[in-house]
Amino acid sequence: MTFGILDPAGALGLAAVAVLVALHLYDRRRRVIPVATLFLWKRIPASPLDRRRFRPDLLFLAQLLLLLALVGGSLRPYVQRAAARAPAGHLVLVLDVSASMQVREAGETRFDTARGRARALVEALAAGDDAMLVTAADRTHVVLGWTADHDRVRERLDALAPLDTPTRLGPALELALGEARATPGTRVAVFTDLPRDATGIPADGLAAVDWVQIGRTDDNLAIAGVVVDQPPFGPLADVAVTVLVKNYGHTSRSAVLEASVEGEPWMRRPLVLGGRASEPVLLTGPRRSGVVALRLVADDALPVDNRALAWIAPADPLDLLVVTDSREVGAAFEQIGRAIEGGRVEVVNRARYQEEPLAGRRAAVFDGFAPPSAMNALYVAPPSDSRICPGGGIADRAAVVDWEVDHPAVGGLQGLQGLGLARVRRLATPAWGASVVLAAARDGDFPLLVLGEVGGRRVACLGATLGPSLASSDGLPLLLLTLGTLRWLSGYDEARVLTVETGVPTAADFPAVVPAVGLRVAGDPPVVVAERAGLHRLGDAIVLANLFDDRESDVGREGDRTWPASTRPPVPSDTAGRHEVDWWLYLAAAALLGLEWVVWLRREPA
Amino acid sequence: MSLLRGRVASPPPALAESSLATTLSSFRGLVLRVRGAMGDRLGERRFPGRPQPAGIELESHASYAPGDDLRHLDWNAVGRLDALLVRRFTAEREVLVHLLVDCSASMAVPVRDGKLAAARELALALASIALAGNDAVRVTLLRGDAAPHETPVHRHGGRQGQPGSSAGRLAEMLGSAEARGALDLGAALEDHARRHPRPGAALVISDFMTDPTDLERGVLALRSRGYGVVLLHVIGAGELEPAREFRHGVLRDVESGGTHPIALTRSALERYGALLAGHLAALEAVATRAEATYARMSTASNVGEFVTGELGRVGVVRRR
Repeated sequence: MTFGILDPAGALGLAAVAVLVALHLYDRRRRVIPVATLFLWKRIPASPLDRRRFRPDLLFLAQLLLLLALVGGSLRPYVQRAAARAPAGHLVLVLDVSASMQVREAGETRFDTARGRARALVEALAAGDDAMLVTAADRTHVVLGWTADHDRVRERLDALAPLDTPTRLGPALELALGEARATPGTRVAVFTDLPRDATGIPADGLAAVDWVQIGRTDDNLAIAGVVVDQPPFGPLADVAVTVLVKNYGHTSRSAVLEASVEGEPWMRRPLVLGGRASEPVLLTGPRRSGVVALRLVADDALPVDNRALAWIAPADPLDLLVVTDSREVGAAFEQIGRAIEGGRVEVVNRARYQEEPLAGRRAAVFDGFAPPSAMNALYVAPPSDSRICPGGGIADRAAVVDWEVDHPAVGGLQGLQGLGLARVRRLATPAWGASVVLAAARDGDFPLLVLGEVGGRRVACLGATLGPSLASSDGLPLLLLTLGTLRWLSGYDEARVLTVETGVPTAADFPAVVPAVGLRVAGDPPVVVAERAGLHRLGDAIVLANLFDDRESDVGREGDRTWPASTRPPVPSDTAGRHEVDWWLYLAAAALLGLEWVVWLRREPA
Repeated sequence: MSLLRGRVASPPPALAESSLATTLSSFRGLVLRVRGAMGDRLGERRFPGRPQPAGIELESHASYAPGDDLRHLDWNAVGRLDALLVRRFTAEREVLVHLLVDCSASMAVPVRDGKLAAARELALALASIALAGNDAVRVTLLRGDAAPHETPVHRHGGRQGQPGSSAGRLAEMLGSAEARGALDLGAALEDHARRHPRPGAALVISDFMTDPTDLERGVLALRSRGYGVVLLHVIGAGELEPAREFRHGVLRDVESGGTHPIALTRSALERYGALLAGHLAALEAVATRAEATYARMSTASNVGEFVTGELGRVGVVRRR
């Protein structure tokens, strides 16, 4: 630790010390004080004055210290820590690792080009300079914190690879700019295929950022979306898969769409798409259920969006036990069973079921009462005192107001908002389940359909009553809701399949498992985020991940461009580790002023 | 000396001639009340117990003696008592007020206190009151380096406070007073008593920085000639609180030239305070023994307030 001063001219203030001494001597001079008489004073012992001309007292010392503190403060002294070294440079590298960085052009991917540029910056760092490595995809990831180990930075750079996810550059930039603010002299360099104005950060916020944009070609065909249309309990022949193919280039392209189910070829369709055109392709009549693999055979720049996966569930027939005292309801279900190929529906009344509980069906419907059941069960209009389906009273003239569109029981249903109900049992959300369909009456909303698992079986509670209109066209929305619920109840033993888009968090309905490569899984129940497109296995579940993102597939850019930082970060001075202590001296002076006053008061005999 | 030292008192301003009328006007309605100082000349002051053959207010009767004015025979008494009785009246005389102002060098210190200026202002105030009460006034400046400087007896005349009036002339004379020389106040009072044997009222204005024994000698000389004596003590604020003036140094007596080195330590100051209190008590004791009146005014206070306040309290002045 060393000491120094920044303003030697402040030493001129030491002349004030001489003034102070002179004042003190003047004050201590042998003064003659005229008085009216001495006859009183002579009765007080004389106090011969010290013959020395200068005899500092406590007051003088306090004033001297006060003066020295002020002079010392004006010198602007500082303390330099011995450990302080020459100021180091700082560099934050932000690399875009989204799917579009996989585009191949000029013999290498955009990411390879970006990595090369970043590596050049690392090579240019002086020994001792710090670097930080940040990647940006669907989330920001600090790959390497501040380090002066440049070999390690290079090693981490080489190990990086672009993901199959969309891009969110904003958070990564905020992080980098925050580091730049916290560490003066920090350079921020961004390597991406996006232009600078695509971040959502104001231009003045990016003024200190070196922005390197890479990429030009727009040559890309992609599978932009897949929809599987599979009626409940319907045969495989009724399954239709719609594939949306888009040409993101400005020139016409030809390609072939190949589809297979569980590795067995299903269909091959040649396509010719004009510039920026899209075409839906309808695939029908799969010969089997399982994972549908779609592949677009086209030699374009970005392969990751040329493939997609979908799921065709096994076509299990309706196998249902209906327990009801309503003849109309029983007849309606029997009619439904007859309408579905291979469907089996057994209708019994409540007394018969209570006499001998039946089992062995894939699912059961209990109309108006809620007995325990060993089967997956749908409780229709359960009584208010039901333990399985708790609820309140009756609501008149209710209507559906919301539903969980991602839940498999109601997925694909579009007409629920038109479902009006004359009398509905107000359900409550039990601990074992979740409200999937929400209805509202005049006095508030309440769950209409609750789904969950109890004791290893699936349970559904439906607040609506099922009437004879169930099998008519008027009751179609309610019929679809019922069939969707029954399909969910019947499919409990099927393979668990989760179809997701890369980079999009999706809630899974299976227990938490150890994450697989290319997947991030967190929480319980787990939320899955796929970083890689394709088929992943999570325990006994299957995750089908697809890249359906226009922003990533639309890869056309304006060529390599660079926006150098318009304002350079302030160069750190050689004051690192230096701490000026003048204010401490000024504070001491203030304290000494108070002390001097106290000393003077005590010295004054009055 | 401290960087945070507070303000110090400034000396009271001397009475300016231009404000003379204003100052004196504040004493209207006041009269001096000094006992045992009946003069020779008729005046407005009544002296009960000393009946006179002529007058206004009947006080007593006396047996007729040849030569008595027959107009003062009380015929009713003659008829009832069959004796010749003449009326006797309360004596009404003027009082000759002697204002004795100490002009020794000690009145000039402490310089900041302006004791002499305060004494001059007080003397003028009292002279004004006396003149307004139709009393006669003589001002004597007791100087240390010369014989006393006396004015003739002034009586009421002209407009009060104007330069041509008695008060104006007295103000002019007092304004010329300077503090110089050493003065033996007791001896000066004895000398004054000798030179003016006719009794009057002696108002002595001084800092009384002298041995009370010496002072008592002079006071008794005045009292023995029938003077009513009032001792008006003008004391400097710096004498009450010497720490305001110095902390250490060599004290020099401005009259004797003697010196005494001193450092105002806390103990020294306490000792001085005790001595001063003893001195003031001794002065009061002198006044008590000589049947004189004693009043003390600090230079830090206002003369007008002292006259109307303290002097009223001790009975030297009163409202008409």
